[in-house]
Amino acid sequence: MLLVGATLGLGAYAVAVLDGVGARVAAGGRLRLMDIAAGPLRRAALLARTSRSTTERPDLQAWALAPAIVAGMAAAAVAAVPFGPGIAVADVDDGIVLFGAAMAVVMVGVYLHGWSANSPMPLVGGYRFIALALSYEMPLALVLIAAALPAESLAVGAIVESQHDLWNVVRQPLGLPLYLVAGTGLAFWGPLNGADGPDLAGGTSAEVSGPALLAWELARRFVLVAVAVVGAAVFLGGWQGPILPGPAWMALKTLALLAVLVWAGHRLARVRLERFVVVAWAVLIPLALVDVFVSGALAL
Amino acid sequence: MSESLFVDVAFWLFGGGSVVAAWLVFRTDSMVRAAYWLLASFAGVGVVMVVLNARFLGLVLVLMMAGEMTIMAVFMVMFMMNPAGLNPMTMVHQHRQAKIAGVVAFAGLALVGVVAEFPDRPADPEGEATAELGRELLGDSMLIFETAGVTLLATMIGSIAIASKRGRFGDAEDGSAPPPLDPQGDHS
Repeated sequence: MLLVGATLGLGAYAVAVLDGVGARVAAGGRLRLMDIAAGPLRRAALLARTSRSTTERPDLQAWALAPAIVAGMAAAAVAAVPFGPGIAVADVDDGIVLFGAAMAVVMVGVYLHGWSANSPMPLVGGYRFIALALSYEMPLALVLIAAALPAESLAVGAIVESQHDLWNVVRQPLGLPLYLVAGTGLAFWGPLNGADGPDLAGGTSAEVSGPALLAWELARRFVLVAVAVVGAAVFLGGWQGPILPGPAWMALKTLALLAVLVWAGHRLARVRLERFVVVAWAVLIPLALVDVFVSGALAL
Repeated sequence: MSESLFVDVAFWLFGGGSVVAAWLVFRTDSMVRAAYWLLASFAGVGVVMVVLNARFLGLVLVLMMAGEMTIMAVFMVMFMMNPAGLNPMTMVHQHRQAKIAGVVAFAGLALVGVVAEFPDRPADPEGEATAELGRELLGDSMLIFETAGVTLLATMIGSIAIASKRGRFGDAEDGSAPPPLDPQGDHS
């Protein structure tokens, strides 16, 4: 329980710090350590004290429920990942399916967040997220299946142990890139931020402010952290590595993936959703199928 | 002992919650809420399956239903011409037929539940339910499942081909392009 909370909390803070560094580097500004370290906390404190806004006749229960669904599903996904041999909340024997199911329910949370505001921009953001989610779900599921093949198990711990000799990022070169594209979509981050994009004045969060916005922004970063944690376990060998203890390797690998995801958010332009849908179905799914077939043949 | 108590409590909690959520599907006044109450009901069944050691099936149920209920909500909102699905509308109609169908279905299922002889084969709690399921799907029953799967896939592809040949913005092969500013102009 503490493990999941600490992972998500520290991870979300790491995302915010990396985001601050990325923004300053992208803008060519100077890196002031205090600003970068304290900035996210200041913004969180400000949001927590800002008054809430509301709309005409929203669905208040669903609106309040949405960030809880998204954050809860991120926590469920992290709970299935072991941070060292035997150090897991629940390394269940269908862990990777649990991750898939949790990430499918994230779609419900994001759509509800957009729909329940009863306002045009959030609603468009919610619909955009459905189109995005239906496009990345298949490549995501396929690369995870491919990663489970050499392990002959759906448990995340077994997948980590199957990478004892060779990490999946090398053994299945298509896996991690496709996974990161899907993960960027899952947290509607950076180039795939169709749901909460600035062109929709904030999309699903256009009408929320104050503590509700804080909860939503946290939940979204929790999903990004969950994506990085699972990616580190499934593709980067998890806790395995020389000298340092297992959890330290997990933390380093998770941070590395978070840095890549946040960097992509600052360096890549936002993609138009209809283009991404075409690319996802015509390019990413066939590539993911190749990944499954090649991995299956190698695992035989 | 405490684990079996936990299983019992979870079973009744989520089983009961599932029934309540299913009832709320018909008590709410919005398509989207109805779809997600139905999802809550399915998720409850999924949790019951998980605590009864059918973890894979329970999780896959939640995974599939989350996507399907969302798609269903979107389609219902589109067909009902109800811009956001927030306008109140009743979820029940054809009361007499619905009552008859409900009573008949309940009586039938209750009869089966009371009269049928269920096999008493306690499963091994440590058993590899997922592996056994895989052997069943790709072993003895493969022909059945593959036939059903290919048929469904062909149906989906066929319905997309029929539906998307020519859309509002031109041929489906052209991809999505906005309508031209000049009514007689082409799409470029």
